[in-house]
Amino acid sequence: MKLRAVKLRAALMGSTAAGFAAVLALHGGATPSVAVGPTRSPTPTTTPSQVPSGTRSATGPIEQYGYGKLAVTVTVKGHAITDVHVVGLQTAEQYSQSLAQQVVPMLRNEVLTAQSAQVNGISGATYTAQAYLTSLQAALDTLHV
Amino acid sequence: MTTEVLATVRHHEEVMGTVVSFEVTNADGARSRDAIARACRRLHELDAVLSLWIPESPMSRVRAGVLPLDAAPPEITEVLTLCRGAVALSEGWFDPWAMPGGVDPTGLAKGWALEQAIAVLAESGCEAAMCNGGGDVALLGAPPGSTSWRIGIQHPWRRDALAAAIEATAGAVATSGSYERGAHLIDPRTGEPALVAASATVVGPSLAIADALATALAVGGDPVLDAVRRLDGYDAYLIRLDGSEASTEGIHLA
Repeated sequence: MKLRAVKLRAALMGSTAAGFAAVLALHGGATPSVAVGPTRSPTPTTTPSQVPSGTRSATGPIEQYGYGKLAVTVTVKGHAITDVHVVGLQTAEQYSQSLAQQVVPMLRNEVLTAQSAQVNGISGATYTAQAYLTSLQAALDTLHV
Repeated sequence: MTTEVLATVRHHEEVMGTVVSFEVTNADGARSRDAIARACRRLHELDAVLSLWIPESPMSRVRAGVLPLDAAPPEITEVLTLCRGAVALSEGWFDPWAMPGGVDPTGLAKGWALEQAIAVLAESGCEAAMCNGGGDVALLGAPPGSTSWRIGIQHPWRRDALAAAIEATAGAVATSGSYERGAHLIDPRTGEPALVAASATVVGPSLAIADALATALAVGGDPVLDAVRRLDGYDAYLIRLDGSEASTEGIHLA
């Protein structure tokens, strides 16, 4: 197993989304290659014909994390994410509240840019980001987007 | 939470002083839930044996010198054996025996425990699984519709951002740094809290070893990067305190 990677060049603002432009890739001994630009999963989990063209919303499950709990509601039109927001944000501590207030709008922008929750998990993660992405992915799964 | 053919089950478990997230994909959701329950039981068992936060745990008693190793549970012997290996692999920058207050395998034990959890999921027939405990990520297979997992690396100073993302199919991603819980890493050479890395990530086949090496990289910096460079199958990505970055050859900085 050999790691190959490109480091993110985006200004790390939207890194949950734009960061995927800069992908450290791990492959079984393959020749290194460079990934450029945001990429989508090679194989969609559903085919386009299965997705209605109208506007639809879904809310992911409430995700608990180290400092509280949150759930994410996503609105889509066809395949495009048109809005995403947090519902039921509960935080236990002052620290976590201010953190969540910073993190959540950022993640929202990133998701709208990326059009998809493309990270499965985060190493060295804030629990907030982890819970957000988990709930969002579940909401997207519900909509088969 | 389901796709057309495969069910993805997600679960969060509070254990080992953190929240462990599971994401398991299988043709049978009930089977996944059962597998996750078994993996969680294993994590709680291992925590009870290995935790240094529990004064009466076997590991705490080994550390205090009141429980001889040959009378200790086999998990402790196994973890300490791996620790000896990690001391060598990290060229001394990871050293549980140099910690103040006695032997402390925490820097490897959490990764090892998560590795056991992912092994339980694999034995239970799960096709793809991710087990993420406070930033230590163990992986099995790849999620449905993808060829690999995408694991973001938390940006050290911006809680709302990632520094990079890693694509991996199986194995482990471990990141150490000071941002999530404050400075908590000890330099084995001085016994004092130390940190030369803002973020230290190690990727490789074993989460136990990756966890230990990430801990070493966080306190050792560039010399540990060189040590990892000499290891087969492992790669590392370092963000120094001044924000500059370095990585092993498997990681190309664009």
